Amino acid sequence: MKAKPVPRYDIPYVNLPAQADEQMPELAAIFARVVRRGSFVGAGAEIERLEARLAEYCGTREAVALNSGTDALFLALKVPGIGPGDEVITPPNSFIASTAVIVHLGARPVFVDVLADQNIDPAAVERAITPRTRAIMPVHLTGRVCRMDQIMEIAERHDLLVIEDAAQSIGSIFQGRKSGSFGHFGCFSAHPLKNLNAMGDAGFVTTNDTAAAARMRRLRTHGMADRETVEEWGFVSRMDVLQAAILDYRLDKLPHVIAKRRENAALYQRLLKHEKIFVPPCRQDEFNTFHTFVIQAERRDELQRHLRAIGIKTAIHYPVPIHLQPAAASLGYRKGDFPATESQAERILTLPVNQYMSAKDVEAVAGEVLSFYGA
Amino acid sequence: MTRIDLPLQPNGTKVQWSYLPRQFNERSVEEILDRLRAFVPSGDFTLGKPVREFEERFARLIGTRHAVGVNSGTDALKLSLKALGLGPGDEVITAANTFIATIGAIAENFARPVLVDCTDNFCMDVSKVEAAITPRTKAIMPVHLAGQMTDMPALMEIARRHKLPVIEDSCQCILGAITDRNAGTYGLAGGFSLHPLKNLNVWGDGGVIVTNDDDFAVKLRRLRNHGLADRDSVVMLGCNSRLDSLQAVIGNWLIDQVDFITTTRIKNAAYLDGELGKLPQIRLPHRYNDRRLVFHLYIVFAERRDELLAHCKKAGIEAKVHYPIPIYRQEGLRPFGYRKGDFPVTDRHADTMISLPAHEHLTAAQLAYMVQTISEFYES
Repeated sequence: MKAKPVPRYDIPYVNLPAQADEQMPELAAIFARVVRRGSFVGAGAEIERLEARLAEYCGTREAVALNSGTDALFLALKVPGIGPGDEVITPPNSFIASTAVIVHLGARPVFVDVLADQNIDPAAVERAITPRTRAIMPVHLTGRVCRMDQIMEIAERHDLLVIEDAAQSIGSIFQGRKSGSFGHFGCFSAHPLKNLNAMGDAGFVTTNDTAAAARMRRLRTHGMADRETVEEWGFVSRMDVLQAAILDYRLDKLPHVIAKRRENAALYQRLLKHEKIFVPPCRQDEFNTFHTFVIQAERRDELQRHLRAIGIKTAIHYPVPIHLQPAAASLGYRKGDFPATESQAERILTLPVNQYMSAKDVEAVAGEVLSFYGA
Repeated sequence: MTRIDLPLQPNGTKVQWSYLPRQFNERSVEEILDRLRAFVPSGDFTLGKPVREFEERFARLIGTRHAVGVNSGTDALKLSLKALGLGPGDEVITAANTFIATIGAIAENFARPVLVDCTDNFCMDVSKVEAAITPRTKAIMPVHLAGQMTDMPALMEIARRHKLPVIEDSCQCILGAITDRNAGTYGLAGGFSLHPLKNLNVWGDGGVIVTNDDDFAVKLRRLRNHGLADRDSVVMLGCNSRLDSLQAVIGNWLIDQVDFITTTRIKNAAYLDGELGKLPQIRLPHRYNDRRLVFHLYIVFAERRDELLAHCKKAGIEAKVHYPIPIYRQEGLRPFGYRKGDFPVTDRHADTMISLPAHEHLTAAQLAYMVQTISEFYES
């Protein structure tokens, strides 16, 4: 009988305490500055500055600061008028929000399967197009941009909107272009666990469509054109000024965050060579930012339990595909409809890859994974 | 009596609408920063411990079993209606003179707002509600505007008779009450706003829903967090509408002062009532002995309102009008077919009401200066 494993590591999945440690004096100064100005809500200088910087960073004309990545997706569908009777093609292996916003607008999510790298399969997208299709919503999962050359080509041929779910992919590049700059809208999250993270909920939309951006800025604050005029029914989806100031500060650090994550990921890729483990390779034309580092492994649940027992935190994104969630029952999908997604759901494991990990930490995790398989 | 004059404040006014610089002064900000320095290293930013603590304290403050922190007062209303399962074709009865968010929350649920006029206390005229009920009515949403109270005992009687759920828009009415029963505790649920200019305010958008119904609370908690029952189970389609933990830290700091905020506003309003009530050109809204009105806004009816507003502004008083164009006449409401004149009380209010600062950080001199300015206007 094998001895019960004892925790000999303390490797967290994310490391917000380390980030706080590193940034606390600057963060406190930001809090104090925003409070002194007393402008907590609404499109003030902080919001405008952040929007301009995000647009420049992502390579679009506009960025619109919002309350969350979910709201970014919602407004990106709402502004072009997607609604009842319309279909939106999207993958089922995303976080629930990308599908929920489609349903909330009365439209129908049409799922298509994914490739070995977990991103949407362009050929499957084309097969799913019907006369009711209005938009394609690719999800740049794990910080890897989808095959946007093919997707944009399909969209143009069929006159469809493309709304990029870029929640996990700020700064990722495909064929020389940043995520969020390919489609009509790019939808980003700045949730505390993202690579560019606020200290609460926050998100934004990128676009080259100035009129759409102006409308989004109205919709995020009750649909008001000014204090007295309600142009249309809107929402409350403003990014807190406090969060905008934090993101503005952290945007300077993003290149370093990305570089460190890429370094950690490259080390994993070098070390994790084993027949029981599949690590999607990085192609020449991709610059991946590794919001998550996901391996596809045999006996995944056992591996995760083992790593947890010895003090290495991992996660699964996501164990239950959306089409198999109770909330999706009315969409009429069944187990077996998306074989790649479903088989990946049983094998994917997200290893810690955050910027506060040292090469030694990465080597330790990789070593433990390999030794689990007896290598 | 000697004439009062006041020094100009940094923003170029003498009586400020916003109390934020006084509320968050050097001493209080240092106190809050200490709390934030302790909180931030926890990394507990999403539905964390401060949110649970705030929810418990807010529920205790209002007197309900549950409080659910959400992203805004608007979302508090929107999610409450969503939890009722509202859909296309359904009707919700509400007040014709409310802030747009009330109606936006109804429209967002694909339902139809059915408006009723208000009384001279800015709240729904409950005697007109019954006539507005149809077979499609799914809920009643009274609005406790400006910290005033809708006649809830009478409204609940109607709701019970017609078996309709009541969601109270209490966004402007924290601790408002009728015979000591607080706004938000009469209906199935009550929605509150924590917006920076509300009586209990945080450093960004925030809201809370209170309810005594256990199942309703569970539903609301799921709806605000993507419909998740746990990390991996989506049991319904929800939204992302969470009160940030960071904002809950601010809320937990401020909630101790709510009694002071409320009683000071009531005291300021009583002073203004006493002085302005002497002027024949000013009419006070009806005041009630059995109600605690919390004066999120202090509103009176004024002759030559627009001139008075301009005069106040010139004298450095940040007076406002809530709202000069009633919601039912706004562009966004056109699809619902209301026309100018449909709600005469609301219309009359829009032309005569003026909102004066009455917040807890005003000095006695500022209050007296407002009275003097308004008196002089009518004497001249």
